[in-house]
Amino acid sequence: MDLRFTEAQDILRKMARDFLTTECPKTLVRELEKSDKGYSPELWKKMAELGWMGLVIPESHEGMGYSFQDLTVLLEEAGRNILPGPLIPTVVSSFSILEAGTDEQKKEFLPKIASGNLILTLALLEAEGSFEPSGVSLKATPKGDDFILHGTKLFVEMANIADYMVCVTRTKEGTDKKGITLFLVDAKSSGIQCEVIPTIASDKLCEVRFEDVAVPKKNMLGKLDEGWPTVEMMLRKGAIAKSAESVGAMQTCIEMTVAYSKERVQYERPIGAFQALQHLMANMWISMQTGRYLVYQAASMESEGQPADKEASLAKAYINEVYKDVAQWAIRLHGGIATSYDHDIPLYYRRSKAADTAFGGTDYHRELVAQRIGLS
Amino acid sequence: MDFKLTPEEELHRKEYFAFCKELEKKRPASFVGMEAVFEVDECWEFHLHCAKEFAKKGWLALSWPAEYGGSGTMMDKVLFAEARGYHGIPGVDIFGIQMLAPTILQAASDEIKREFLPPIARGEVMWCELWSEPNAGSDLATLSTTAIKKGDEYIINGQKTWNTAAHRADWGFGVFKTDPAGRKHHNITFLLMDMKTPGITVRPIPYIDGDAPFAEVYFDDVHVPAKNIVGQENEGWAVVNLLAGFERSGMGEIMGMYRELEELVEFCNKTKRNGKPLSQDPLVRNRVAELACDLEAAKAIAYRIADLQNRNEMALMDAAAAKVFYSELGERFAFVATDIAGPYGQVKASRWAPVRGEWEKKFQECFVTIISMGTNEIQRNIIAWYGLGLPRMK
Repeated sequence: MDLRFTEAQDILRKMARDFLTTECPKTLVRELEKSDKGYSPELWKKMAELGWMGLVIPESHEGMGYSFQDLTVLLEEAGRNILPGPLIPTVVSSFSILEAGTDEQKKEFLPKIASGNLILTLALLEAEGSFEPSGVSLKATPKGDDFILHGTKLFVEMANIADYMVCVTRTKEGTDKKGITLFLVDAKSSGIQCEVIPTIASDKLCEVRFEDVAVPKKNMLGKLDEGWPTVEMMLRKGAIAKSAESVGAMQTCIEMTVAYSKERVQYERPIGAFQALQHLMANMWISMQTGRYLVYQAASMESEGQPADKEASLAKAYINEVYKDVAQWAIRLHGGIATSYDHDIPLYYRRSKAADTAFGGTDYHRELVAQRIGLS
Repeated sequence: MDFKLTPEEELHRKEYFAFCKELEKKRPASFVGMEAVFEVDECWEFHLHCAKEFAKKGWLALSWPAEYGGSGTMMDKVLFAEARGYHGIPGVDIFGIQMLAPTILQAASDEIKREFLPPIARGEVMWCELWSEPNAGSDLATLSTTAIKKGDEYIINGQKTWNTAAHRADWGFGVFKTDPAGRKHHNITFLLMDMKTPGITVRPIPYIDGDAPFAEVYFDDVHVPAKNIVGQENEGWAVVNLLAGFERSGMGEIMGMYRELEELVEFCNKTKRNGKPLSQDPLVRNRVAELACDLEAAKAIAYRIADLQNRNEMALMDAAAAKVFYSELGERFAFVATDIAGPYGQVKASRWAPVRGEWEKKFQECFVTIISMGTNEIQRNIIAWYGLGLPRMK
């Protein structure tokens, strides 16, 4: 056991922190919330030069060949600063190609992803908002050399600007996990309509309507009817990735709150001198720190190629709750000032809700935990 | 970052678990909750028996230097605590082994080391802590029991309280005011004494549940040899702080809760209510899963502390966070388990009780960990002051 970061991870973290501080100030974050695109192509290009989208893609496919744990180090920094845009959707979806893609698909997609020239996202949820296979009803019907996709996906992150989507479809009637098939769908295919849903973090979750969209058979990802395990893998890795981002966000909430409490004077002393407030800040730190190692543990397992089935859900269910709690205490301890739209803390608070739903909410993951600890 | 154990550690862990599993078979039925060691005669006997068994293996001196009979690493010590926690096995004197031995190793003279460490390693001498007083709890440095030096002895007068195990222990370590006119924090001395010394009176105190894990201790002209000192005279406060920094990942308690969680899951799977097993009630599933998440978080940070301490690094802030978290989780666990058990949640150890009555016991016993070893409010001060750098209370 050695729970220290490697030297390479320390370098990655420092580089990411410095880069984001300079290149992604809160003025940009606010600007992007109001923009149509929701990301900055200039910033994306610079991130690509640093190799971020290809961080976990092997060198043989022109990526950096880093580990999953390295990725979470980077995402923690992204969360710490707030980095709007399609980094998580692209990276998490790219795992489906890495794990289930054919050699041709890997050759075609991975280098483009790694170079920042292909933005990818996951189209999973539908009207029910369910993360279960029963929630998938978008139909894919074979026709000649194509499959014809018909139905509507919801909450597809950054579909407004994505180049491709990993679309989760139903190829067999019913609600079972058998009968789920994945396709790599060109977002510019005819018959696709995309509309941005107004959400709490303005993070460009979209409704994507597929009106008889023809997708070439060669773009099937993995085997016919047997795509669900790949979805589970993405949910698992996505849950850890999102949790790592949330840990970074909590760190900022705490640092800002502690700093403010040392400056803000009431009753002739800094409010941070009051024990009532000190203990709340200690609680925030306890929540973050206990969550942090839960995430590191899950990330470490994934890095070793060991699916963190239980650990990812333990972490996500835990982090969902503590991130919201830490962020709301950050607002309360700041007082009136942090209820202003222009304050930075609300940027984090709003994202705590968005992070919570991404890759499965608390109750979804608690149910997975319940199954995995043996509740019959 | 690597959470895996080395093959050697893995091997040791297996050995500790196998050994404790065997001992569990001999555990008396009256052994409910870990404080039972101090409350029930046959449980104390079982504790002494386990201590002897562990001593034969050399496991009471894990991480000590070889010259005092030590072997293994700090990680071995943590893994051993996992095994004992999971199987609910006593035998490791929290006062002698967890607190005093590492303190002696760092702060005492060679004479003290040679005199006191070997009997601890052999599991022959059990210790208690003489710390709190009626008017000195969290603000321990204001204690008023005096130890006045006279020739080659200290003469002790006053009273200590909440002394866990004092009615069972052979020896006690404590802090006493040696310079009543001196400056706070520089007028206290850390002394060791035989609990059979004339003038010591021990009166067990009944805890919330009526059992007596602790006692109050009265000192009436108690003569203690001046050589029984750890650290310097009047500088016992530094020794107190040193002692507070030793291995406190809480791994034993956490693994105890792992076992309790397994038992809770089993209870839910086989107990029917309203025509179906409790395990099929979505609310029950959700509540139990929440406990599982919290427990894993406690374990993850405990490993973080073990890892730091295994490299001789400070873990002050993390240890404070872990203590707050796992102790309050113990309380939540008791609340949830006794809720799920319905009317059976209130039943004491008897034929009506689920899981030997452990949950009812825990509902009451949980305050021991929350309040002792620095209350959770003191731990939060530590995080705020030393971790977050917030202004210290004067």
